[in-house]
Amino acid sequence: MSGHEPVPWDTPGPLAGPIGVPLVDLLDRVLSTGVVVSGDLVIAIAEVPLVRLSLHALLSSVNERVPAPWSDGGPL
Amino acid sequence: MTREQPGAPETATATYVYAVCRRLDPAALSGLAGLAAGFPVRTLPLGPLTAVVQHVPADGFTEDAWQQRLADRAELERCARAHHEVVTAAAACGPTVPLALATLYRGDERAQQALGADRDRFAAALARIEGHAEWGVKVSLPATVSEAPQSAPPARPRDGGGAGRAYLERKRGLHQAREQHHDRALRTAEDIDAALSRLATATRRLRPHTQEMTGERHRLQVLNAAYLVTTVREKELLDAVELLRRRTGAEVEVSGPWAPYSFAGEV
Repeated sequence: MSGHEPVPWDTPGPLAGPIGVPLVDLLDRVLSTGVVVSGDLVIAIAEVPLVRLSLHALLSSVNERVPAPWSDGGPL
Repeated sequence: MTREQPGAPETATATYVYAVCRRLDPAALSGLAGLAAGFPVRTLPLGPLTAVVQHVPADGFTEDAWQQRLADRAELERCARAHHEVVTAAAACGPTVPLALATLYRGDERAQQALGADRDRFAAALARIEGHAEWGVKVSLPATVSEAPQSAPPARPRDGGGAGRAYLERKRGLHQAREQHHDRALRTAEDIDAALSRLATATRRLRPHTQEMTGERHRLQVLNAAYLVTTVREKELLDAVELLRRRTGAEVEVSGPWAPYSFAGEV
């Protein structure tokens, strides 16, 4: 891992960084990507309106006049 | 749904799945909290593959419960980070396909059955990402346009046009400057994406974060992309980013290495 410039999280070792990962970048990944499989209780969450509502709420808590960020389907 | 003690509904559990990998030493998961305190994060065999799972209390992970959880910023963050921590721990040991947040089954057997049916997809995804990591790259440019762009027509009255005409010309100049700024920003984003894509095995464009999301008024995000890069080319990628920073003057933020979240799904 030598030669790396600083990245937003600065922990040693490969793939070693839950701490300090910007939340918005993390949500790009854990909500909208990953393998889509069918689950029993909650299905592929990026596909359901549930999460869009929730993200709207999330951002509204930061700024009241915020449009839902992924309102038209999320990252490609 | 399994019940460890019949008649005690609070012990009814569901199986939460974080990721699928090939083989994983269960010791790699020891000490991880996951999403449910008191339940170990563990491995679950899926034929030749291994799922990373955790029992969670079923009544705390219903759809209604998720509705509430995800509407609460702090709780959403806690869940996202807990999920990511487990995925990251597994990915540090070998190729790992992350699953989306909130993938739940009624029990281990159901998870084995459902995920096992997708064994070939998982095997293909694992082969694709092996030896790779995901790198995030975000490019931002200043949000504002100069009030007096060099290319704008002179903002003074000519042959009797008067103040009204000067105003219109100034407006038009500003509009043109904005358009040029916009075009330049898009070109910069495309150039950087093209240059980095040449070093990547796969590329994915994510939706750029709006100013509302970043809370930053002074700059505009023009590119939010993910690159799947072999470990041997990581330094090349970072060098290329440095070069692009100098050449374009754009702010280029790099994050990584990530578990290959953005590249696990396309099969």
